[in-house]
Amino acid sequence: MIRRRLCIALVAVLALVLTACGGGGSSPSGPTEIAVWHGYQDTEGEVFKGLIDQYNKDHPDVKVSELYSSNDLVLQKVLTAVRGGSAPDVAYMFGSWSPNIAKIPQIVDMASQVSNPDWKWDDFYPAEREAATVGDKIVGVPALVDNLAIVYNKKLFADAGIAPPSPTWTWDDFRAAAAKLTDPSKGQYGWLIPADGSEDTVWHYVPMLWEAGGDILSPDNQHAVFNSEAGVKALTTLQQMAVNDKSLYLDTTNENGPKLMNSGKVAMLVTGPWDLSQLSDIEYGVQVMPTFAGSGGTHQTISGPDNWVVFNNGDKKKQAAIDFVKWLTAPEQVKAFSLGTGDLPTRISVGQDQTVVDKMDENLPGSKVFVENLSNVKKVRPTVEQYPAISEALGQAIVSVMLGKDQPADALNAAAKAADEALAGK
Amino acid sequence: MPEDAPARRPFVVLRGLGRGESVTGWALVSPAVVLIGVFGLLPVLMSLQLSFQKSDLLTPETPWVGLENYRKLADDPVFVEAIKHTIIYTALFVPGTMLVGLFVAAALNRSVRFISVYRTAAYITMAVSTISQGIIFLWLTDRDYGLVNAALNAVGAPSQPFLASPSQALYVIVAMTIWGWTGFSVIVYLAALQGVPAELHEAAAIDGASAATRFRTITVPLLGPANLFLVVWLTINALQLFDEVYATTRGGPLRATTVIVYYLWDRAFVQFDAGYAAAMAYALFVVILVITAVQFRLARKHVHTS
Repeated sequence: MIRRRLCIALVAVLALVLTACGGGGSSPSGPTEIAVWHGYQDTEGEVFKGLIDQYNKDHPDVKVSELYSSNDLVLQKVLTAVRGGSAPDVAYMFGSWSPNIAKIPQIVDMASQVSNPDWKWDDFYPAEREAATVGDKIVGVPALVDNLAIVYNKKLFADAGIAPPSPTWTWDDFRAAAAKLTDPSKGQYGWLIPADGSEDTVWHYVPMLWEAGGDILSPDNQHAVFNSEAGVKALTTLQQMAVNDKSLYLDTTNENGPKLMNSGKVAMLVTGPWDLSQLSDIEYGVQVMPTFAGSGGTHQTISGPDNWVVFNNGDKKKQAAIDFVKWLTAPEQVKAFSLGTGDLPTRISVGQDQTVVDKMDENLPGSKVFVENLSNVKKVRPTVEQYPAISEALGQAIVSVMLGKDQPADALNAAAKAADEALAGK
Repeated sequence: MPEDAPARRPFVVLRGLGRGESVTGWALVSPAVVLIGVFGLLPVLMSLQLSFQKSDLLTPETPWVGLENYRKLADDPVFVEAIKHTIIYTALFVPGTMLVGLFVAAALNRSVRFISVYRTAAYITMAVSTISQGIIFLWLTDRDYGLVNAALNAVGAPSQPFLASPSQALYVIVAMTIWGWTGFSVIVYLAALQGVPAELHEAAAIDGASAATRFRTITVPLLGPANLFLVVWLTINALQLFDEVYATTRGGPLRATTVIVYYLWDRAFVQFDAGYAAAMAYALFVVILVITAVQFRLARKHVHTS
């Protein structure tokens, strides 16, 4: 008998342990609890927590709790949580996931919300709004915006006797400078590019494609068009630098860029504002990306806007989550967050506020160029759910050309074929 | 268990137990059974179901597609490539780790001063996380700034791209993982070597056998069970290679290091094609099952047990 009771007790303990894992949820009385998943660490994490504390203080009927979750893995975690019926109320998600996120039934379509004028939706940069829009749905509210520009080592330019990059630079000027800044005996390269074939590689190529007058997909998003003359021109530039001049360091790890830049082994990076804080040992300058000769001198760059995505966990929590996101992305909080972290302002009104921009540039030199460069973001990557497959095909093509294994036109044609198959749903 | 129960017939012993005792037995194993069932067996069955469905992990609808995912596997050139890389990797990694491990274990199987320091040193690579290991090797083998190339240059050899080269990357990962797993095979071999009865060696030595002959005719046959264990264990691990690839090359350059599990992960969590990835996992499961069965069958003939 005693043994049987022991058995029942054990089963009961187990059952308790298992239910405890799936627990949570707030009591009917008391403040509405909402959970926010984000990837902010260090300074960003502190500033973000400060904002949340402020919100909780000003809104006693709501309790916002924050949970750190690495940005790279947040989608997997959210998917698991959604399946398990315990989705967060708000999560930070990469903009490139938008088309896929749009298919999750539990997300809140913000379209009817942001049409309300007090959201000042038009105050977000066009690229941000586009990256959050999938068909007629708006899957999130802009959380972060960035762009690519040239970051260069002033001393290496001076030592080589070359004038620093100017806004009138063409890719030919860029290539010539990179060649002069390359010195194999010192292990020094003119430029470094992430070369693992991931989206990180692709998004360095895409603005070159756009500047040359090309695009990724046809306007109706039905066919790949990156294997155009413009696409070949852009990829040929990379080929010449990597294969002929050997002035381009191919970073297959995607980790080495800022480290090699900071140790003076690489003279130029094309990168975003997030790398600036790692360049503490060198004196750097920031300049917009070059143009292609004959393209009319218009600069372009690419932006990877990320979003706050709201999940529906019942009307009460949903409303609390929407209210919180609205507050978090309002100009005042955007301004506070940019000043505190150096992240680019997600709102046009803040980006045009000279006192804010000057202060940011003082905190982190070069910030100003990146803020101004936001106006050069003229296109966004297509928000189609097949984008991961298209990106993978294009990434492999770019790397095979840079490694000297393939010619630009052949590689792009093969990638376009793979992309078309993905778009056709094969 | 009664002391005098025949040790090789456990099932008979169990049947002989009283009812109350079997309830206690179940009570004692139930936490493990429930945990393994919920976190092990259930996902295994659910992924079998998933392999017959189309799922992007996002939408709740997961329509049945029959054998479609398995059919797609046969036509997928990247999957075929991934199998090829996995086979090359396994064929080099398993014997490599065993040979290096046996060599080091033989060297450590003696009583000299500070022997435990040397033994700890040999095992310490097992304590390094695979991610740290990956980062260490990335820098060691860096084309321009790595120590390995500095050493090559010092003896007049040209720099090699290593992990940045499609033709070399897989072999660098083989070398790196052999380094990482050597400690494991050293421990297994060391235990086996110490189980070799000293009197056999003494008797053979008196009969005039040289050290090399003794190693070949006494030690090596007695290592059979250790060999079998290592072959099976290392093969299963080799077929599931993922961490080291994720930490170093992410399957590149140009898919040169895309092995089955890496590709599976890529399809499921980058390309959102979970049904297809599940089918891949099951194909791998069958392969592991067949290879392990073959290994045991061969072993039954050749391994000297007891």
